[in-house]
Amino acid sequence: MSADEKILKDLQKAVLGYDSKAAVSAAKAAIAAKVDPLLAIEKGLMPAIEKVGDQFEKMEIYLPELMLAGDAMKSALALLLPLLPKGSKGAKATVVMGTVQGDVHEIGKNIVASMLMAGGFNVIDLGVDVKTITFVDEAERNSAKIIGASALMASTIGSQKDIIDYLVASGKRKKHAVLVGGGPTTKEWAKEIGADGCGMTAVEAVKLANRISKGT
Amino acid sequence: MSHMVQILDIMEKALNGKPMSETDYQLKVFAPKVQEKVREHRIKFDRENPIPQDNSMADEVFEAGLELLLDVGAFCTSSGRTITFTEQEIRESLRRAPSKLYFGEGRDKKALVARAVGDKTPPWCLLGAGGGPCSSDKSFLTLVEGYAEIPETDAITTPALTRVGGMRVRPASPLEVLAAQRNAVLAREACNRVGRQGIPIMNSLATAESDIAFAAALHPKFGMRDSDGYMICCMDPMKVDFARLNKVAVALSLGGHIGMCFGPLLGGYAGGPEGTAVSNVAHHMMGVLTYQSSWLLPFTIHLRYVASSPRDMLWVISTMGQAISRNTHLLSLNLNYTTAGPCTPMCLFETSASVTAAVTAGLSIESLGVATNKHEDRTTPVEPRISAEVGHAVAGMKLADANELVKGLLKKYESKLNEPPLGKSLYECWNAEARKPTKEYHGVIMRYKRAMADLGIDLRPEA
Repeated sequence: MSADEKILKDLQKAVLGYDSKAAVSAAKAAIAAKVDPLLAIEKGLMPAIEKVGDQFEKMEIYLPELMLAGDAMKSALALLLPLLPKGSKGAKATVVMGTVQGDVHEIGKNIVASMLMAGGFNVIDLGVDVKTITFVDEAERNSAKIIGASALMASTIGSQKDIIDYLVASGKRKKHAVLVGGGPTTKEWAKEIGADGCGMTAVEAVKLANRISKGT
Repeated sequence: MSHMVQILDIMEKALNGKPMSETDYQLKVFAPKVQEKVREHRIKFDRENPIPQDNSMADEVFEAGLELLLDVGAFCTSSGRTITFTEQEIRESLRRAPSKLYFGEGRDKKALVARAVGDKTPPWCLLGAGGGPCSSDKSFLTLVEGYAEIPETDAITTPALTRVGGMRVRPASPLEVLAAQRNAVLAREACNRVGRQGIPIMNSLATAESDIAFAAALHPKFGMRDSDGYMICCMDPMKVDFARLNKVAVALSLGGHIGMCFGPLLGGYAGGPEGTAVSNVAHHMMGVLTYQSSWLLPFTIHLRYVASSPRDMLWVISTMGQAISRNTHLLSLNLNYTTAGPCTPMCLFETSASVTAAVTAGLSIESLGVATNKHEDRTTPVEPRISAEVGHAVAGMKLADANELVKGLLKKYESKLNEPPLGKSLYECWNAEARKPTKEYHGVIMRYKRAMADLGIDLRPEA
C-alpha cells in the first residue's frame, strides 16, 4: 500500500470509526503528504460517509453513530475544503438548516443534517427554535443555495411558511431554495406554502438537495 | 422520612448541575451509557417473539433503566447543565408515586389504577386523536363528540387545532394562545353536547406547545378543571428546559396531575430496540422526578416508519411495559401510532397489535395517532373505539397468547409498512350527522372483526 493509499484508508477508517480526532490527523497527514485534497475527499471521506448513510438507512447503525460520523467528516472537511481551487466540484451547495421558530425538537433536523453532510453538502446547522429572520440572514451571509426548515409540531409548521413569505417580501426568494420537513409536513403543505420541496425522509431530502444543487 | 424531590429542588439542580453541551450529553454521555447498560444486563431483542415472556429480562431492563438515570441524569437545555439524582431519590420517588388517581367529575369520575402483567383489570382508555392536526372547529367538535360517545372512553385526548380566525397557528404567538384557549372551550363543549360533561381531558392542551399558551388556556373560564390531566412533553433524550418547567409550575399551582409524555425514537439516541426499552424505563423515573409526574405517557416511535406497530416496536412496548409493571406501581399509558389511515383494515390491525403489546404488559393506553398523525383531518372516532375494544378484550391475556396474537396480526400488515394505505379523510368515511362510520367503513370494520375472531378475539358485534 502506498503512502497516499494509507492516508485515504485512514480517512475512511476515521469516519467509519466515528472518530473526529483521527479524521483531523488523517486530513493533516494528507495535507503534509501533498495528497490532492479533492482525491482525499472523493476517495477517502466520501465512500466512508456514504457507507455510514447506507447503514443508517438499513438501521444497522443508529442516530449517534450517524452524527458522530458526520462530525468526523466535517472535522476533516474543515481542513481540506479551503485547499480546493475555487469552482472545484469537491463540495456541493451550502445548506443552512434548523428547526423553526417556536420548535425545540431537533432529532429530525440532526438526521437530515448528517445525511446532507454525508452527501457532500456544506451544512450550517443553526440549531433549534431559529427565528425566521435568522434563517434568511444566515443564508445570505453564507451564500447558501438551500435553506432547510424542520418542524415537528402541527402548531409550529406555520413558521416554515414565514421563511418563504419573508424571502418573497424581501426580494430574495430566487436566491435560496427552501426545503421543508418534519413530522406534520406533507407534500401538499410544501406546495401550499411555495416551498421547493418536502423531504418525507432524510434520503428524500438529500435527493431534493442534490437536484437543487445541480440545478435540475 | 427522606426528602421528596420537588420543583424547587429541580431548579436548584438545573442551575448547579454539571455544565455540559447538549451534543456532548446526547452523544458522549447518554448514547454510550445506554449501550453499556444493554451489554451489562445482557438484554437481547428476539425478532421471533415480539412479546417476550422472560421475567428476568424485564427485571434487568428495569435495573438498567434505573442505573442509566442514576449515571447520566436529565439535561436542562436552558442552563446547559445535567440534573442528577441519587439512587435514594429515585427509589423514594417510585415508592411515593400514586398507584391510583381519580380523573373527571360526577358520573364520569373514574380511577386510573396501576395494572400488572396479564392483569384482568381493563386498561384506562384515553381515547382520541393524540394531538393530531385538525383544520377547523367543525372537525374538532365532530371528532371529540365521537370520542366522548365511545363506551370505553375514560378520558379524551383531543386533536390540535392548526388554524384560528382563518390563520395558521404560529408558535408562541397570540395565534397559539387563542387556538389553545379555543382547544379547551371546544373540547368541553363537545363532551357537553353528547352528555358526558364530567369526562376528563387528559392531553391539555394539544394546541399549546409553548408555556405561555399552556398557561393562558388553563384559566378556569375556558373550562379546564383540576380533575383533567396535564400532559407535558419531554424532549428526547431525557431533556427539559425552563419553558417545560414553567408548565410544570403552572400545573402544580392548579392542583392538576401532570403526565409527562416522552418518545425515545427507536433508532435514535438510545439505538436499537434494547436500548430504546432501557431508555423508556429511565424516562418513566425521570418524569416522576423532573416533571413531577404522577402518571406517565410513553410513545416510542419507530424512526423509519413513524409508528408503533413494527415488530421491533411491539417488543419495545411490551418489554418496557413489563419492566415498569413488574417493578413499580407507576400509572403508565402507552400512546400508539399507525402507518395506515382510516377506512383500511391495516390501520385497525396495526392498532390492535400495539394495544395488545401494551395492555398485556400491564400498561394502559392512549389511542391513537392515525397515519403517523401528520395529516389534517385524517382520523375518525372509529380507530380509538376499536383500540379500546381490543384493549378490553385482551386484558387478562397471558403473554404467550399475546405473542401468538401479535404474530398473527403482523402477518396481516408487516409487509406493507413501507407503503401503507393512507385511507380516507374524516368526512369521507365518517357520517357526522348520523355519528357513525360510512357504509364503506362499516364494511371494513365488519371484515376486520371477522379476521380478529379468526385470531381468537371476539370483539363487540357491530350495530
